[in-house]
Amino acid sequence: MAESQHDHDKESSSTPTDIDDDGSRRDFLTTASTVAMAGGLIAGYGPLAAMAGRYLYPAKDHNDAWQYVAIVDEITREESLIYQSPSGARVVIARQGDGNTAGDFVALSNVCPHLGCSVHWEPQNARFFCPCHNGAFDATGKATLGPPAQANQSLKQFPLQVVGNQLYILAPLVSIVEAEPRSNMARCSHAVREA
Amino acid sequence: MGRLQAWFAERVPVTGDQFRELTNEPVPNHLKRWWFCLGGTPAYLFLVQIVTGILLAFYYQATPASAYESIRYITHEVNYGWYFRSLHKWAATFMIAAVILHQMRVYFTAAYRRPREINWVIGMCLLMAALMTGFTGYSLVFEQLSYWGATVASNLSDAVPIVGPIAKQMLLGGEEYNEHTLSRFYIVHAAILPASMILLLIVHITLIRLHGVTELRFADEPADKPGHFNFFPEHLYTEIIVGLVLMILLSALATILPAELGPKADPQTTPEVIKPEWFFYVSFRWLKMFSLTFAVLSTGFIVGAMFVWPWIDSLLMRVTKSRDISVYIGIAATILLIGLTIVEAVLEH
Repeated sequence: MAESQHDHDKESSSTPTDIDDDGSRRDFLTTASTVAMAGGLIAGYGPLAAMAGRYLYPAKDHNDAWQYVAIVDEITREESLIYQSPSGARVVIARQGDGNTAGDFVALSNVCPHLGCSVHWEPQNARFFCPCHNGAFDATGKATLGPPAQANQSLKQFPLQVVGNQLYILAPLVSIVEAEPRSNMARCSHAVREA
Repeated sequence: MGRLQAWFAERVPVTGDQFRELTNEPVPNHLKRWWFCLGGTPAYLFLVQIVTGILLAFYYQATPASAYESIRYITHEVNYGWYFRSLHKWAATFMIAAVILHQMRVYFTAAYRRPREINWVIGMCLLMAALMTGFTGYSLVFEQLSYWGATVASNLSDAVPIVGPIAKQMLLGGEEYNEHTLSRFYIVHAAILPASMILLLIVHITLIRLHGVTELRFADEPADKPGHFNFFPEHLYTEIIVGLVLMILLSALATILPAELGPKADPQTTPEVIKPEWFFYVSFRWLKMFSLTFAVLSTGFIVGAMFVWPWIDSLLMRVTKSRDISVYIGIAATILLIGLTIVEAVLEH
């Protein structure tokens, strides 16, 4: 009790400067502990949030694979192939050069580069047409009308490679729904006529 | 005070008077006109969506292999499945229409002005959430139009600088529509967006109660007429009547024009004629008119401007010295909105 009284006397005899010092020390400690608490929370929950974000961000799938298309000599300038991958993706494969390297061939996707709808060949207009936003492409896949033409886009090309005398295409293996059973190859006398 | 009442009062220490004081906000007279109740209308329809959505969730399966079949099962096999699915569809349509009309009412009566700017921003968040809910819900059906609509919309985000490609990956669960996409749409549609909307609604209504409803006086009202009426029970009765009329209308539409089921999604073939839900007709036509980059950036600019409109309006008023400048801009925007919607509805391509 005597000690407590002594403390009280000491406190009541403090000068205004002492009180300011106490106040600023208290302010400093309050701020420092708030910052430390915020830092602790960020350090604790931040990694958890980052891990949750990483968890939600899709992992890379390995859906594409090299698939056999044809013997290179069998593809001529007059005749192209409509190749259908196991996923159902339809690809027009045509010869562009006279050699037998991958660069002598082109494999056009049927996916519109504008917003991902599928294009179809219109024989009467000799063009690929996208029904979503009225995009059109010529036989080589170059955009001629609509938003893809404004953005100077062309139909995507699938990677090709020649091994020996065999042509391979890098195309998706699986689709979200089962592809309709049909022959995976068709020949066309016109470069882009669909089977 | 009876023993039961005393028991209850001890555990919930709020008196009837205190509760009335807390909740019985005076409501301005103009809210007796039903078109000023368009804020309560989407709230009621949201409730209908939650109830019918929960019922549909008992049968719906969010996988590409079974989504379409589960919808077919709900529509054709489950008792009253067609009714609840149709109610869900029509209530969604009405809810978006009511949110748009509510926002137009707030806009044209300048009810977003100081000090209600933040509530306008929250309202915009609710509009965006409602549109997103409509989009993800439509995609869950997994029919041709909904599949291709989802494909187009998700590819759109690719054109948004920096965050677009990441947003697309997060929404689709991959580079393109894949076996994980439907479950993501489902969780966004049935959990994330409704929970966010409930939180936003709580803040929205709290701010309305704190600020009070914007006062509007009509020229034909006598000056000595009381300016307010009670929330309980008068305004609540109005809202209940609006709800009942809506439920009759929804039931009639669900019976006469039930939700249909188009062909199942075929990821290899886009239908010859493709249209999104009516509330996206404007964006769809806009995309046909301009290049992708311009269409996306201009849409982003317009939506961004709508979010901060209270401050733009304040600036415009200072610059033009006209209090009605926003009204003229609003009329022009509404004509454009309706015009493009009609053009998209009428034209096949």
